[in-house]
Amino acid sequence: MKKVSIYKPSTVDEAIQILSQHGTSAAVYAGGTDLLIRLKNRLEQAPTYLVDIKKIDHLRYIKEDAQGGVEIGAATKLAELADSKLLQEKYPMLVEAVNKISSPELRNASTLGGDLLQEVWCQYLRGGYSCWRNGGYLCYGAIGDNSYYHSAMGGRLCYAVYPGDAATALIPFDARAKLATPQGVKELSIEQLVPGDLMVDGRIQSHVVRFNEILTSVVIPPPKPGLRASFEKLRPRGVWDFAMASLAISLQLRDKTIDDARVVFGGIAGRPLRETTVETFLKGKTLSSELGEQAISVALASAAPLKYNATKIDMAKGLLASGLARLNA
Amino acid sequence: MQSIKCLLLEPVGCLAEFPSAPFHEIAVRLFGRKGKASPSGSRSYWHLLNLMGEGSSSPFLKDLEIEAVNAASAYEDIVPALTELKSMGVHLSIASSLSDAAIARFVEKNSLGGFFAGVWNRENADGIKAVPLVRALRGASLQPENVMFLTDTVEGIKVARSAGVQPVLMMNDPDEARRLATYNPAGGVVSLHEIPDFIRLIAAQNKNGQRAQSR
Repeated sequence: MKKVSIYKPSTVDEAIQILSQHGTSAAVYAGGTDLLIRLKNRLEQAPTYLVDIKKIDHLRYIKEDAQGGVEIGAATKLAELADSKLLQEKYPMLVEAVNKISSPELRNASTLGGDLLQEVWCQYLRGGYSCWRNGGYLCYGAIGDNSYYHSAMGGRLCYAVYPGDAATALIPFDARAKLATPQGVKELSIEQLVPGDLMVDGRIQSHVVRFNEILTSVVIPPPKPGLRASFEKLRPRGVWDFAMASLAISLQLRDKTIDDARVVFGGIAGRPLRETTVETFLKGKTLSSELGEQAISVALASAAPLKYNATKIDMAKGLLASGLARLNA
Repeated sequence: MQSIKCLLLEPVGCLAEFPSAPFHEIAVRLFGRKGKASPSGSRSYWHLLNLMGEGSSSPFLKDLEIEAVNAASAYEDIVPALTELKSMGVHLSIASSLSDAAIARFVEKNSLGGFFAGVWNRENADGIKAVPLVRALRGASLQPENVMFLTDTVEGIKVARSAGVQPVLMMNDPDEARRLATYNPAGGVVSLHEIPDFIRLIAAQNKNGQRAQSR
């Protein structure tokens, strides 16, 4: 394992100061289920200084806000989300999604912030290949085995998929993320937080959080009456695996008429992929058993699979049909 | 990697998909090559260059090269990518072993005339393979380590190395690219539209490195 120095700040401001001092050689450490593996594998981009935020107050909570929405501290464990009665009552789809993230053991350690900002799980990166995210200038996933963890929707330099399920499940609720920055609090939608492969501070990463910023919480607006949502996930193994394709879908219903829709695919692109074409198609339609087949016909028209992963698109379309069928049941 | 100031482009395989048959036919007629044509236009082209040695001239050589240019299909992202690169101030030059007439036809056919600060071919460079690259470097007064050469063949990687420039793989065919990756190119892209980000990333990394050193 790479040797590291650990700081244990007691406030967010102190943590930001330490991060600013060390630049890209420092990183936030909370659950460690992603970060410690990067250190163990001695990846080029693994940090030398860890800023442990576990001792900072007010980063680990689930609370209802004045508007009836819910705010979740970024250091809250996934297991705590899964066990939350408040979340189960207000956003059962989110709880369903969290319960499908990795294994119970890992959910006891992983945090919401860590899941949202995790590094990709491309086997070439994790295997120490010198790729775009590991000190090199080539995507081995684009030319090697890309059947599981690579994009079927095109890419830009890195072709790994964004692996998180929480972001996919939060987008249909129009959730927002709060960041602490040296300039103050910054608020972003989840789509803005994880827009896919982009260059930040001279690195390729899936999220926009800079080296001296900390994700502090996620705010979910109150659920609207008539909202139905479903989360579907296909993975190589029943537990302990990332999505080959996943779907978070929400429908705003008036009787059986769809007033509004959110359709977000996970595991097939470099970001949680909001499929607005399907959303537009669904608006005004009547929820029925035939709707799934019709929705499939307009879904993912811009797919650009790599050599071995065209099946991901079929899986994603299948999930769309099954998701709509569940919501119709 | 040093910051990139210049991109050298060989149209065959980097700006367009060329047919294999015309290059194979030249190899058969001029050099008595036996066997079937490679399915890859680039491989046939570079194989022909190996056979040509220091160069060769024949009326049908030029005619068949122009036939190849006429049948080539330019990649759809070349104009937006070249536009972006030019706006970034990257020096763009063609450095090819094709004839003057073939390159002129290629540039004209694809309306690329406004993009290139230099156009080097086997006639005005007076040589093939690495020679046009070296002439392009001299013409623009550039250090080779600040220059990328796009290629999709082993020969292209070797030629770039011999000229001292950074060979970057165009990974047109994943299986072939996997094989070529073992020849240690400086990098690889799936599409030309990734080159601007590639250059920006290197610039940002160099800037970060300098900042780290000065701290």
